[in-house]
Amino acid sequence: MKLIVSDVKKNFGAKEVLKGINFEFEKGSIYGLLGRNGAGKTTFFNALNKDIDVDDGKFYIQENNIKRDLTIDDIGYVISVPTVPEFLTGREFLKFFIDINKEKIKNLKSIDEYFDFMKIDVEDRDKLLKDYSHGMKNKMQMLINIIANPNVLLLDEPLTSLDVVVAEEMKEMLREIKQDHIIIFSTHIMDLAVSLCDEIVILSHGVLEKVDKNNLDDKEVKTKIIEALKEEEYHD
Amino acid sequence: MIKTFILSFKLKIAYLVNSIIFSIKQLPIIGKMLPDKTLYSSKGIKILATIIASLLEIIGTFIGKLFYILFMIFSVLSIYKTPLEDTFLHIFVFLTIIGAMLNTYMFNPSKDKYYAMFVMRMDAKKYTLSNYFYSILKVIIGFMPFTIIFGFISNVNLIYLVILPFFIASIKMIFNLYFLNLYNKKKVIVNENKPVKHIWIFTAILLVIAYGLPYIGIVINQLSFIIISILAIVIAIFSIKYLFKYEKYRELYKKILNPAELNYSNNANDIVKQNVQKQIKYGEDIKSNKKGYAYFNDLFVKRHRSILMSSAKKIAAVSFFIIIAAISISMVREDIKKILNEITLNFLPYFVFIMYIINRGQVVTQAMFMNCDHSMLTYSFYRKPKAILGLFKERLKSVILINLFPAIVIGVGLALILYVTGGTDNIYNYYVLIVSIASMSIFFSVHYLVMYYCMQPYNYNSEIKDSRYKIVSAITYIVCYFTLQLKLPTFYFGVFTVCFSIIYCLASLLIAYRIAPKTFKIKV
Repeated sequence: MKLIVSDVKKNFGAKEVLKGINFEFEKGSIYGLLGRNGAGKTTFFNALNKDIDVDDGKFYIQENNIKRDLTIDDIGYVISVPTVPEFLTGREFLKFFIDINKEKIKNLKSIDEYFDFMKIDVEDRDKLLKDYSHGMKNKMQMLINIIANPNVLLLDEPLTSLDVVVAEEMKEMLREIKQDHIIIFSTHIMDLAVSLCDEIVILSHGVLEKVDKNNLDDKEVKTKIIEALKEEEYHD
Repeated sequence: MIKTFILSFKLKIAYLVNSIIFSIKQLPIIGKMLPDKTLYSSKGIKILATIIASLLEIIGTFIGKLFYILFMIFSVLSIYKTPLEDTFLHIFVFLTIIGAMLNTYMFNPSKDKYYAMFVMRMDAKKYTLSNYFYSILKVIIGFMPFTIIFGFISNVNLIYLVILPFFIASIKMIFNLYFLNLYNKKKVIVNENKPVKHIWIFTAILLVIAYGLPYIGIVINQLSFIIISILAIVIAIFSIKYLFKYEKYRELYKKILNPAELNYSNNANDIVKQNVQKQIKYGEDIKSNKKGYAYFNDLFVKRHRSILMSSAKKIAAVSFFIIIAAISISMVREDIKKILNEITLNFLPYFVFIMYIINRGQVVTQAMFMNCDHSMLTYSFYRKPKAILGLFKERLKSVILINLFPAIVIGVGLALILYVTGGTDNIYNYYVLIVSIASMSIFFSVHYLVMYYCMQPYNYNSEIKDSRYKIVSAITYIVCYFTLQLKLPTFYFGVFTVCFSIIYCLASLLIAYRIAPKTFKIKV
């Protein structure tokens, strides 16, 4: 399975943010999306998530050589500020989600099994989400997106505000699920990108570029990324 | 100190100028014609905005005071039998006390103070005092022309009218002194934007004294006014010394201007948001046996009962008492009985406006967004057409039911009033009253929910970002307001209302079903 980005353009007023992006993301890899502030990472994610309409171009999913338009079903979007329905308990949220998606969820497990998988403590499961900590809300958000099992998982700085233990748990979990998904991971933390992601993609000058990591050690990759990102200054 | 004042004034104007430029940029056609990048550095538009800002400052000094004296005092004078000049002074004195309590300037947590003292690190004492005296000066200058004009028409002695603005300023300063002292002694912070309970009670009592006493013939006489004024002015002058001696302005403002308070005062949405969030009630007993969307909506409604249901209940209760009162009065007063009969038979259009005012649709959709959709819309499963429409259906039921409760009370009440005040030749009038009031209620419920789903005007910060939504809201208001001018036989107007509501609801639901799946997302 592939996510094909074909000549996607987006302007805000006179400012061209995405200037014709062409790229193919493949299943089984975690893509680290790097870009300087204002480079358009969020715009790119919002466009994929259909929060905004693009001015030109399209997104496709290609599976077994059949190409079709990307639909909202294909996307799971985990944003850095976790958003959960605060008036429900964790259990109720999961129950609602499972209720309405029953037919679609592959090998449905019990609610508690899901909680176990996400390492959410027993005593927290029946608390209102409004009383969850930041990290726990994040876990819930991630859990819902994982059960929904979308083809493409967009993660916008999901680990930055988590404590080290939870962050490590989440990283482990992402590695576990990556063979079935296309995961695009936007971050400013280069170490994280280099250690977790299989591919590094840079968004600069409104286009996506892959950083070739082949035969380079981590340090060399980082230097290369910095150089690619710095180039932007000469253009603006 | 003057230097600090000029600096802070410039800062305030700069802030205002940029807000004005921002608003100009938001205008439909003109905004598009303006450049994106150079707008804030363009000299021409800066000058224009500065002129607007200065005008606003000048108008702001006067306009509120004009309306205040005109509507709160001058226009009500004629209903009292007490001497005009005494009533004028009487109401003025007691309203002034309320105003001084609720509006001190110094205890108003506003953003310009935060920028000046904490972002720009201006000297807190100099900043506060200079701006405080400026605000007091504005009170005196702003009030002077209107106390003279309206007081003169009301036969008040010119000397009193010149004293009045100083009296207002003095009372303000005295309250300010009291609040400062309260902080100093008991560390109690008075936040004038969210007055505590006893301030409200005190306000209510003063209102009764201001407007109620003249009704039974009691007003203060001119001699006591003079004594109070002189006393107040003397105390105020002495308080200036205290203000200059006081050193803890920075400490005080650190507490007044904490971020939560700032948002509280400056963003109406945040007030709602905080209120909405506080209202989530979780009890072991709040459970739901339903499934899917019904389950989700059921829990939402139950856990938000206090904001969703309580106002509907209150409205129903108040309506109930008004109806009982109307019925009892009509038993003893023949003239009122006639008027009430006339109202039920010819003034049904009025109730469009009343039903508009009491409909909770907007509050309910706001709560839905802030406490639910705001977070849920980031999940793609929630944005599928099936989910959007499934929940829409459930919500429609809830919104209609919530609003229908007070509507039925009003409808049945009106029918009862009609019955006891002499009835009608046309027996259908009874049914028409009940059904048309109910259908008005359903109409507004559907209207708000459809509007919400078809435009979804909120962004991530829960601000309304869709000008179409504002326009439709405004049109709704204007149309409803217009109905106040109408006087039509209940039967015809009622039947018309019912038919209109049915057609409107069907049509708008059809539209919502078609376009909501596309439009129901967070504004970026």
